[in-house]
Amino acid sequence: MAMVDVRNVTKVYRRDVEELVVLNGLSLQVEEGDYAALMGPSGSGKSTLLNLIAGIDKPTSGDVVVAGTNVAQLGETELAAFRSHNVGFIFQFYNLIPVLNATENVELPLLLTHLSKAERRERALTALKVVGLADRASHYPRQLSGGQEQRVAIARAIVTDPKVLVADEPTGDLDAKSATEILDLMGSLNRDFKKTIVMVTHDPRAAERAKTQHHLEKGVLRD
Amino acid sequence: MKFLPYLLKHLRRNWFRTTLTVLAMALCIFLFCTLQTVLAEINGLLEGTSARRLVTRHAVSLVFNLPLSYGARIQSVPGVQRVAGVSWFGGSLPAKKEETKADQDSSTTDFSNFFPNLAVEPEPFFAMYPEYVLPPGQYQEFMGELRGAIIGRKLADRFGWKVGDTFYLESFIPPYRKADGPFEFIVKGIFDTDPARYPGTDTNLMVFNYKYLYEATGQRLGMGTFYAEIADPDKAGEVSRAIDALFENSDAQTRTETEKAFAASFVAMAGNLTLLLNGIGLAVTFTILLVVANTMSIAVRERRKEIAVLKTLGFTSKLVMGLVVAESVLIGVLGGALGIAASQGLMWLLTHTPGIQDALAGLGLSSLTLRPLVAALGFANAVFLGFAAGFLPALNAYRARITDMLRTV
Repeated sequence: MAMVDVRNVTKVYRRDVEELVVLNGLSLQVEEGDYAALMGPSGSGKSTLLNLIAGIDKPTSGDVVVAGTNVAQLGETELAAFRSHNVGFIFQFYNLIPVLNATENVELPLLLTHLSKAERRERALTALKVVGLADRASHYPRQLSGGQEQRVAIARAIVTDPKVLVADEPTGDLDAKSATEILDLMGSLNRDFKKTIVMVTHDPRAAERAKTQHHLEKGVLRD
Repeated sequence: MKFLPYLLKHLRRNWFRTTLTVLAMALCIFLFCTLQTVLAEINGLLEGTSARRLVTRHAVSLVFNLPLSYGARIQSVPGVQRVAGVSWFGGSLPAKKEETKADQDSSTTDFSNFFPNLAVEPEPFFAMYPEYVLPPGQYQEFMGELRGAIIGRKLADRFGWKVGDTFYLESFIPPYRKADGPFEFIVKGIFDTDPARYPGTDTNLMVFNYKYLYEATGQRLGMGTFYAEIADPDKAGEVSRAIDALFENSDAQTRTETEKAFAASFVAMAGNLTLLLNGIGLAVTFTILLVVANTMSIAVRERRKEIAVLKTLGFTSKLVMGLVVAESVLIGVLGGALGIAASQGLMWLLTHTPGIQDALAGLGLSSLTLRPLVAALGFANAVFLGFAAGFLPALNAYRARITDMLRTV
């Protein structure tokens, strides 16, 4: 059974009377443990598809089944619970909370659990260790480099042990060296921790790290 | 509670703005508490009145005295149990109370030491004022000395007077002045009161025998007011009308009202103080509501991406809304606590600063202090303001879609 099963999904944005079809009857399967790269030109709908898989947007029609749950049929509150349990999101611009240090940023998703403060702290530190930033636990985002910020963001994404990691151009804002480190880390998460990863990227070098590549154009898959 | 550190960190993000907002809130609650305390104190003065006592005065103005014969005629009205003549003496201490009589003249009168002092007909007056409790024997001592004065506990504490002490007063009302200098008084009794039984009773008061005033001024004076104790408070209106009807066709027509209405008329001399103070309070509160709401709107607008991140991580819209409201309420709580503390501080300062302390005592506001109820109302007001100010921005955060907020630059 596929970890991500996108079935005949259409996504239409309406602006006044104008309709913009971003995804047009798209279907895609990503198997458990896969590392999939979504590629395509700007406006092809890859980020929209990623948002649907992550459960932060809903399709106009069709089904998006992630870890056995049809995301398209969930309400607002159920979707939030789904995201907190099943999905780890990695943003292009890291989106760390500037007033929180690295540990507190990583700990943020755990505030939604029943874990004690000590348990939360322990898990956050473990996640930081996994991404190689245990020594920067008390640093604030402004005190970290771009690559380090992204690694903290990855720690935040994995701290709840989600089934799927979705990454929206995770190396898009990084220099080549940092990008390589991040890609190495993501490869390790897939290989060593068996995480299913769906990544949107423009970068062919990043896409090469993935096990499968999918090309979108004008809202449909080309391969 | 686990979100509290997160909220506090956000408040510290722009500490200057947070400080200003908290100070604005504090100012609002400070004004609210201070104004309401003044109102409560004024209302407290009215609390010290009895529904069983009526006050008859000259219909034109308190400035004019009533003929002494009116007392007996008021006594004859059905429903009236006893009548006591009471005249506002308006006496002030000379500049130095320890000066001898010979050293003093009217030019050295010290109005900063002003306190209420009344010339009364003692027997009926004390009979109708069970609030004033005198130790045994002191009343008899007072009645045996024409220059005797009975003072309240607060007044005794204020000037350090004890039984047997002598002091001098000179009235600012010309007919109540003597050619040979100020009136000499000897403290013959110090009264206390039971605040639980008679709330609002002020012991910052001095009374003396009207006979002393009458005789010392050439036996030409009338009486400022007549206090009548009635049997049935429910018939106060009926008895008041009967008293006034007695003098309808005389040179000195009267106006009779309950003691509470009489006291309230003094407050009304300053205009509609309640409306004025409440109006100021409301205007300030509304302004602060706009200030805090604006601050919270800016704070939420600045954090649109962060709110999107929280929602992406699994925070529900309700929880995000709750966090924004809680942050705003926290500003209210901090501002409220600060405002209440500042108000209490001002009260303490006013009641412990020489000069101001005396002026307040003269107005019957010697016990100006922040009441727990006013403080609680002020705090509730701060919490409500925080909630109301944060609600709309929180609602916007609640409604906002993650994908829209993530696109925000």
